[in-house]
Amino acid sequence: MKAEPKNFPQSGASSAGVGMWYLTGILGGLKITLTHLLRNLFFKKKRITLNYPEEKYTYSPRFKGNHVLTVKKDGSLRCTACMLCATACPAECITIVAAEHDDPRVEKYPIKYEIDMLRCVFCGFCEEACPVDAIRMGPEWQTPDLADGNFIYDIKRLAYRPQLKGGVLSVVDDEERHQAGI
Amino acid sequence: MPRCTINGVEIEVKEGTTIIQAMMAHQQRIAHYCWHPGLSVAGVCRLCMVEIEGNPRLQIACNTVITEGMKINNTSEKVKEAVKWGLDFHLINHPLDCPICDQAGECGLQEQYMEFGKYDPEMAEPKQKKRKVVDLGPRVVLDSERCILCSRCVRFTDEVSKSYELGIFNRGDRSEIGTHAGKTLDNKYSLNTVDICPVGALTSRDFRFRQRVWYLKDQNTICNGCSTGCHIKVYFNKEGFFRVKPVYNAEVNGYWMCDEGRDIYRFANKENRWQQGWYRVDGNIVELKPAELAQKIQSLVTSQSAFVVTGQFTCEELDRAIGMFVKKVGASNVFHWQNEPERWNDFDGILLRGDRNPNTRGLLEVFQKLQINTHWDQLIQKLQQGMIETLIVAAPEGVTWYPDFKEKLSIFSKAKNLIWLQSVKRKEVEELPHKSLYVIPLKSYVEKNGTFINYAGLRQSFKAVTTVLHETLTLDQALGLMLGSWEGLIPVTQNASGVTANAMTLVETERPKDRVLNETRKRNEFIFQRGRL
Ligand code: SF4
Ligand code: SF4
Ligand code: SF4
Ligand code: SF4
Ligand code: FES
Repeated sequence: MKAEPKNFPQSGASSAGVGMWYLTGILGGLKITLTHLLRNLFFKKKRITLNYPEEKYTYSPRFKGNHVLTVKKDGSLRCTACMLCATACPAECITIVAAEHDDPRVEKYPIKYEIDMLRCVFCGFCEEACPVDAIRMGPEWQTPDLADGNFIYDIKRLAYRPQLKGGVLSVVDDEERHQAGI
Repeated sequence: MPRCTINGVEIEVKEGTTIIQAMMAHQQRIAHYCWHPGLSVAGVCRLCMVEIEGNPRLQIACNTVITEGMKINNTSEKVKEAVKWGLDFHLINHPLDCPICDQAGECGLQEQYMEFGKYDPEMAEPKQKKRKVVDLGPRVVLDSERCILCSRCVRFTDEVSKSYELGIFNRGDRSEIGTHAGKTLDNKYSLNTVDICPVGALTSRDFRFRQRVWYLKDQNTICNGCSTGCHIKVYFNKEGFFRVKPVYNAEVNGYWMCDEGRDIYRFANKENRWQQGWYRVDGNIVELKPAELAQKIQSLVTSQSAFVVTGQFTCEELDRAIGMFVKKVGASNVFHWQNEPERWNDFDGILLRGDRNPNTRGLLEVFQKLQINTHWDQLIQKLQQGMIETLIVAAPEGVTWYPDFKEKLSIFSKAKNLIWLQSVKRKEVEELPHKSLYVIPLKSYVEKNGTFINYAGLRQSFKAVTTVLHETLTLDQALGLMLGSWEGLIPVTQNASGVTANAMTLVETERPKDRVLNETRKRNEFIFQRGRL
């Protein structure tokens, strides 16, 4: 079906200037393209496009990537299984099962801590809710997997994956706090 | 009768009423830790401060009796300041380990802090360290750092359970709760101390760390642990039931309940139940939907059948089920399975009664109404003579209270066909080498509406809390289906979801109960608000 707009200027109409109305736009566009082409050719460092995956972008330290569970000095998990992160999580993707620890100074610890990475919206609320700096959002984000891959990360993966080289130390230390009289 | 004014509201109270009692009765908020309506007055926490006109100093509301013309308020700045700094004293040595404290979410310190405090602590001194994770007894764990020394627990063991196990030891900031030498906190009511402890100092061994309290919903019901019929609240979520607490009822249980009654939530959980009805064919188990199985065995229920009931079902169920059976088979074939009847009149002086069936009175009433006066020996005789072809047993939920369970089971298995109706899964039944055994799972007491009549004849109705297993039946439904006289049963060719069912289906007339009830939802609104941005 043809629908011709009524007031559209027809080519070959009364004045030649009106007939060339689109040239300004095209030339403007060509100018932009050319500037970028030339800049990228001669100023390689200013290039915005990266040759992913050979080149990788470094995000700011505040970037909210995959979670990391921190550890104490002795290498055990810092998390006290208070479930504040699971409570704050809007995606309800954190599952924690708490248990009684043999050491009365530790008292409570998680025997299961799982984050469903596919449901996580990377809001960082868990990180903010944690009273003991036990969960942080790390820099990693390129963690693709195949369809049968496991996107429900467990303690082993969250706290002790090889990239973390034995675990990230938490800033909250019970011994120090006790000595400070808290 | 003295008249007084509390926060501008004029009220009249009984002679001898304390200010806190009057305020509680008139829904006025007042901070308090050591006062508990079921215990004596201690006046140690100094949090219930009120201002009385004409009195230069603030007074404690829990130990001040109202006199004629008193003008009381607890909303003035002076009172608020006093409570705030009183709270600071409580928090001097408090560890504030709320993240690992089971009380968090229902803690008196947290509540009052949010209402009156919200200050930064000003104590420069290091905190006094005390014992943590102390087993006071088999069911209660103490964290003496969190204790605010309100002495409620001590008064409970002195005044209510009268077992005198607890005391406050040492002096000053080293004071702590403990058990007297050679004693452990091991009485039948010990878990009440956990309920009344306003902070997380006393926690229940059973509930410890299993859930955060804000993940739980609650609903009131009646305990089915014994014939007292205490009012209780069960706490549950989609993972199951987690704990039971008493609800105040002046006529029945006051503020308390026994420890054994707190275990009854367990058998209602999925893992302790048969999910489907089943029977054996050549040693292989065949599973069927309970309603289908009940209809399948209709032909087994002949005039040669007998029906054994226990006082563990609601009045409504018993009335309808026994009524239907009597109509079809006859009154001389209904028998009452009594567990330890010689202990039925026992009473421990507080709550617990020897009759561990919640509704023996109700059952006897039904027997009287239908003029059933059979005796157990008649059943045994009939079984031995082979006069009973099919035996239907409405087995108890609280099997723990039936020490004769195994023995009775072997008696029952003499019948040619045994139809077993029970809400809990029992190994003994599964292992029974009976050729013609049909097991139909029933609903447990938390899943049905009904009435229990307690030992004193008090009728107490209760509502279903939630549904754990959809397809299980109530006793009357099961009997109705077996006898072919259940009205809720209509032939359905296509049910709501469009699936064609070829059997007669039990049509649900009500909304499934495991959808959260509106009233529960309202009460637990904060749970549902989380995550909403
Ligand atoms: S980042 Fe947000 S969505 Fe993801 S686990 Fe944490 S709280 Fe949940
Ligand atoms: S990660 Fe932090 S907030 Fe989450 S349970 Fe552990 S201690 Fe609590
Ligand atoms: S008693 Fe209350 S304030 Fe103290 S740690 Fe437990 S929840 Fe926190
Ligand atoms: S343990 Fe609890 S109830 Fe007992 S004195 Fe301490 S705070 Fe009060
Ligand atoms: S409640 Fe009155 S002093 Fe504790």
